[in-house]
Amino acid sequence: MAVTLDLDDIQGLVARGYGQLPAARFTAFTAPHPAAARALLSRLLPGITAAGPFSADSACQVAYTAAGLRRLGLPQSTVDTFAAEFVAGMAEPNRSRILGDVGGSDPGGWAWGGPQSPPIDGIVLGYAADGSTLLRRQVELREHLAATGSRVVADLDTLELADAEPFGFRDGISQPIVDGLSKSAGAGRVVAAGEFVLGYPNAYGQPTDRPLLPAPADPHRTLPRGPDGRPDLGRNGSYLVLRQLAQDVGAFRRYTEDATRRPDGSADPAARVALAAKMVGRWPSGAPLVLAPDRDDPRLAGENDFGYHHPDPLGLACPLGAHVRRMNPRDSLDPRPGTDASLDVNDRHRLLRRGRSYRTGTGETGLHFLCLAGNLARQFEFVQHTWLNNPAFHGRYDETDPLVGGHHPAGGTFTAPAHPVRRRYRDLPRFVQTRGGGYFFLPGISALRYLAALPGGDDRPSSTVTR
Amino acid sequence: MPHQVAVTIRATVAPGQVPALRAWLADAARDGLAEPPFDFARLRGLHFAKFFILDDAADLDGAPIPASLVLTTEVDAPVRRHLAELVGIAGAGIDAAFGHCTGYPPAGGWSRRRVRWLRRRMVRSGAAYVNTVGRGLEQIRQEARLREALQDYLDQPGHDWPADRPVQVRADIRTYVAGRPDLGWALRPPPRPRLLWRAAELAHLIGVPLLILALSPALLAGLPVWAVLLRIAERRDGRATERPTPEHLRELASTEDFGAHNPFAVAGLIKRGWVRRLTFRAVLFLTDYAVRHVYTRANLAGVKTIHFARWVPLDGWRRMLFASNYDGSVESYNDDFIDKVWWGLNAAFGNGLGYPPTRWLFFGGARYEQEFKYSLRVHQVQVPAWYTAYPELTAQNIENNARIRDGLRGDMSPAQAQRWLGLL
Repeated sequence: MAVTLDLDDIQGLVARGYGQLPAARFTAFTAPHPAAARALLSRLLPGITAAGPFSADSACQVAYTAAGLRRLGLPQSTVDTFAAEFVAGMAEPNRSRILGDVGGSDPGGWAWGGPQSPPIDGIVLGYAADGSTLLRRQVELREHLAATGSRVVADLDTLELADAEPFGFRDGISQPIVDGLSKSAGAGRVVAAGEFVLGYPNAYGQPTDRPLLPAPADPHRTLPRGPDGRPDLGRNGSYLVLRQLAQDVGAFRRYTEDATRRPDGSADPAARVALAAKMVGRWPSGAPLVLAPDRDDPRLAGENDFGYHHPDPLGLACPLGAHVRRMNPRDSLDPRPGTDASLDVNDRHRLLRRGRSYRTGTGETGLHFLCLAGNLARQFEFVQHTWLNNPAFHGRYDETDPLVGGHHPAGGTFTAPAHPVRRRYRDLPRFVQTRGGGYFFLPGISALRYLAALPGGDDRPSSTVTR
Repeated sequence: MPHQVAVTIRATVAPGQVPALRAWLADAARDGLAEPPFDFARLRGLHFAKFFILDDAADLDGAPIPASLVLTTEVDAPVRRHLAELVGIAGAGIDAAFGHCTGYPPAGGWSRRRVRWLRRRMVRSGAAYVNTVGRGLEQIRQEARLREALQDYLDQPGHDWPADRPVQVRADIRTYVAGRPDLGWALRPPPRPRLLWRAAELAHLIGVPLLILALSPALLAGLPVWAVLLRIAERRDGRATERPTPEHLRELASTEDFGAHNPFAVAGLIKRGWVRRLTFRAVLFLTDYAVRHVYTRANLAGVKTIHFARWVPLDGWRRMLFASNYDGSVESYNDDFIDKVWWGLNAAFGNGLGYPPTRWLFFGGARYEQEFKYSLRVHQVQVPAWYTAYPELTAQNIENNARIRDGLRGDMSPAQAQRWLGLL
């Protein structure tokens, strides 16, 4: 393996989650017409952070929806060569069934990104070392938006990076080690770069499908060249998934507390945490249940080098349907659980997670889930549908992810395997609801330059050029 | 229990009737085929049914193939009873659907005439996979009820089961089942298919290898020639470059992912030349043998999510149809194909026009992930109306239920008993 990536042309978010920049704000915007959209991008371009060595006190990335690419002046025929899921958009009804965005999570009720909310062209992701630096960058961004007549559609504030997500668990431990990107390569399994960056071989050893343009479309040779010398608009880009996931912390606490009360009706805090950990698959510290079955062990907090099948094939320590075992089943599933064959298939469904927690003024708390993927259908949507929201995951019958799943309207079920018989928890409410979201494309830097210099387009106001 | 049969009925749509038929099927699907006018829930032993339209097409020489309506059913034998019920119970729906086809007997006429009309339009499968041979609808439903009853029993308060006495826990469960008159059947093994049918299958099991053995000198002599000719044909094949249109994808997706499983149908032309036709025939012959005698219980070469599948040559071996019912999304189904049974897909579909190029029949092909997925989507036919008798059960659920029932019989060691309790 050991592929060489063009780090200067890849946006930095692919390489890092900006852990050293704890303040962040995501700003979804729309521009009034193509010229304005391109002017905005031209203003943003000098500030876009690439994936090379990084030490600044702030960073900025920009990603576009399919509508945003059209607004920049990209012809529909070119937009249609992006992934079909991206072009359709996250709020399209067929996607909603795949993603479990039904009932209270239906896009019709979303705060942003839904059919009832204003269209989104793109999103600026701003990161900074502290609140005041972030504020300065925000002022600059507002100037760019105002100068081009662009509008903020959604302003997504995030909480300063903390040790735990709102349910009280350490998050973001298991990330794929990406070939050519990760510092820690050599430890553990390496996932092909093409799984996250377009234009490089993916887990099947092939380049993932991406927009290749006819040669005349790039007369100034702004774009890198793909096969047959065709301008490669996708190279060094990645698909970006953003979802505002509201977490009902009170309901989660109440459920786990009520389900573990002592016979006399009093609360049993230790049992409550143990049940919550069974649902998550890790203890609050992050220690995996499969290595620490009986109690939390902070020494194992960052542990990520383990399999499920050999120590725990039946899920007695970490339930088969636990959240982390669904998000990343490792060697649990066919073919041949416990072997490299199982891990090989698992590696084709990994996500590079870059989410941040939030709390709104109204007290709603949750996660701005953000992930990167080279193939939305095989990675993000597959994980969401076939692993998280699948009632029949790993031989289950009628239970989705206990933590984030969209349960049966009558209430969810969670089974914790045990000896001699399993313990079954009934009537789980839905603890996590989708409040907004979108599919974006995070282009390479050259691709951004190309888009900023596109000719043509018209000046109609935004409401009439959206499809 | 009876064995399961894949019935395919295909009739030419009357000229100009395709749009009306399509609209009518979409309407029928909204009400569900379980209810009148189809009433499929009342048909005995009916597991699945699908209606779809094969649009008019042209063969490789440009000869037109008119549009046709296809009804596929997966049903417990006998077929004679099934056809009679299609006309007798589902008659109102069948009349309306096939009423769009050329020559359908006028409604209100003799039902025998309509049965004969349907029977004449039955198409033989080249091969038909059944998740578990001999497991009939009644058994699937009974065993699902058994599991639910046992789960409720385990949840009853007041049990105090010692973790170190799994044998005793199992004995308690058996006592409970024995005490429930409605579950008494569960302590007996499920009935097997009829003796006559099993004897015929046994003869096939032995006869085919004997036949191949007898022909082996000729086969061995011909094999290298065939392999070289096939390889030459393969090298002439180009890459699969066609991408499904957004409209086609939207149409397909609009009837997918509503329950535990999805219907699947792809149709396409077989490549030019006798080498390809011969190869396809041979592959179907061997597939038929494999699904009848090897992959007979809950596992098709590593894929455990398929309830039924059929490979049907059409139009005098000029086209092929593959139809199945699978668990999960089309993405997970395709990934299973690519990761687990790429070789089987390549051997059959590699003879189809527009499939990514194969090498030596088994290699390449589906391993070109994106080309393969596009190619299947391009050739996939929307199934506007379909029926399932058990919308919430996956194939693995059904298999697990059967194992729960099987585990009620006989003696078990503590380790065996614990493993069995793990099924619940």
